[in-house]
Amino acid sequence: MKITFVQVNGVEKTIEDARPGETLMILGRTHGVEGILGDCGGGCSCATCHVYVDPEWQTAVGPPDEIESATLDTVSNVLRANSRLGCQIVLRPELDGLRVTVAPSG
Amino acid sequence: MGSSEAETQAQSCPAAGRGDPSLADATLIDPKILAQPNDFYRALRAGDPVHYDPKLNMWLVCRYDDIVTVLRDPITFSDKHGYEAQYASGYFEEFKQILEREGGGFFPDAIKDDPPAHTRVRRLMERAFTAHRVKTLEPGITRIIVDLVEKLADKAANDRIVDGVSEFAIPLTISVICEQLGISQFNAEKIRGWSGAVTAQIGRMQSREQMRANAAQICELQNFIIAQIRERESQPREDMISDLVHARTEDGSKLTFAEVVSLVRALIIAGNDTTATAIGNLLFVLATQPEVAGALREAVEDDRLLNRFVEELLRAEPPVRGLAKMAVREVELGGTRLPKGAHILVMYASGNDDDTRFACPRKFDLNRGNLGTHVAFGVGVHRCIGAALARMEIKVAAREIARRLGGIQLAIPPEEITYLPTVATRSIASLPLTLLRRSSCLTAQTS
Ligand code: HEM
Ligand code: FES
Repeated sequence: MKITFVQVNGVEKTIEDARPGETLMILGRTHGVEGILGDCGGGCSCATCHVYVDPEWQTAVGPPDEIESATLDTVSNVLRANSRLGCQIVLRPELDGLRVTVAPSG
Repeated sequence: MGSSEAETQAQSCPAAGRGDPSLADATLIDPKILAQPNDFYRALRAGDPVHYDPKLNMWLVCRYDDIVTVLRDPITFSDKHGYEAQYASGYFEEFKQILEREGGGFFPDAIKDDPPAHTRVRRLMERAFTAHRVKTLEPGITRIIVDLVEKLADKAANDRIVDGVSEFAIPLTISVICEQLGISQFNAEKIRGWSGAVTAQIGRMQSREQMRANAAQICELQNFIIAQIRERESQPREDMISDLVHARTEDGSKLTFAEVVSLVRALIIAGNDTTATAIGNLLFVLATQPEVAGALREAVEDDRLLNRFVEELLRAEPPVRGLAKMAVREVELGGTRLPKGAHILVMYASGNDDDTRFACPRKFDLNRGNLGTHVAFGVGVHRCIGAALARMEIKVAAREIARRLGGIQLAIPPEEITYLPTVATRSIASLPLTLLRRSSCLTAQTS
């Protein structure tokens, strides 16, 4: 699967060999995507894996659940309608080609 | 990245305001400062942000940005070496011998290590308290807390004075973590003593006599833990001690016995005094700051606001004050050159009070847009593993207190509140309160 991150420094990073089943946070962290820190290890409690999902992908990715929304609310100054936490997005074949922008750190 | 950022900073603001000579002798270990530290932090942030404390022989890192720089570079700023140099400081060899002789062994903290060794253990521990798993614990935590709030209200009947720390905050956190670990029979007073004995090892304020008494307590704790582990080695149960005993790390290996002992000990200790401190702080601010009590009343039936209330409480009154790291090489930090081996105290509490990050930091403000960037739980690879659990405990406590209690007042003047003698946390030692049960007036209101 192909996934593209627009990093906090503006530079795009495309990963060609992403595997279904892993999360967007793990993918970004493993590939050293700038701004994907994943401090809590995917526990949905730190908001250091915050991304903006490209509008055309929003339906496929889906909205955050209640717990994720609560964590996103702690960085409301950088929150947008297409905000998601990367650790809560599990890659599936339908997300092949996904493009996200890494959010600045609140 | 860390050091080059620090260098640019040093260039753009030359020596001005750095190393303020009037601050040369300033030390954190002054009981008055330990009790009311915010002026001290502010002075250091302005005049000597990476301050050498002569009494502690440590460098206090006080500015938010410098704190984040340290915590985001765990290789240069070693948690392992910082912790070891802090542990049982001054009496380490004797301490270790006591544990080896009477406590089943000396078990270094497996989680207080540096990457990559840290990462192996950390990945395993992270799974325990995800926000989603903690959400499933809410009903159980609520039962424990409702019971304690009701008992507190009973004890406080007829204007009797109750202690918000020993009769509420401490039994609360002990019950919650013991339930998680699967320890069904426990003596809360004992566990309280054990917790204090372990945290004193990073507090830098124990005498040799106290060290010996604390070591004896830690031996008892370890023998208790070892017995719990032995029971589960043969017969696994549905609990966290069993999970650790039988866990496989990502590399397929098992944890060693020594690692399991140290991790169970860490889970019992790390979450007890810290979360109890937060809940003690909650009661203190409700008793002394009417605007905070008002904010809670408005937030109590609104989940989003209640989460924000908890977060702002942690920002404004952070339980953890300072934990140690060590520079493994000479490095520039916030305009100060630290020698190799510099022992650092990361002042989380000062970071949360830094007005370059949090405007008007002494104001209790639920609407901060960057609330989630406070450093009460740390930042980076060592960020607190129990954050979601701690938040849930504080949130349910705040909700049930607001629903069930009223008229919370200090039974002594605020100046007489004392704090535990430690640089590691800022914890109220005892909190005498009077309070009323609210249920009767509540039913009157709603009917
Ligand atoms: C309000 C309550 C709490 C506060 C303020 C707090 C704060 C912290 C802080 C500041 C750190 C260190 C970060 C660093 O090294 O820079 C930490 C680490 C840790 N905390 Fe907490 N904590 C709390 C509750 C808990 C709970 C409930 C648990 C467990 C059930 C827990 C378990 C741990 C562990 C195991 C670590 C070590 C993590 C590592 O080094 O990788 N904490 N905590
Ligand atoms: S990694 Fe912490 S919220 Fe996603």
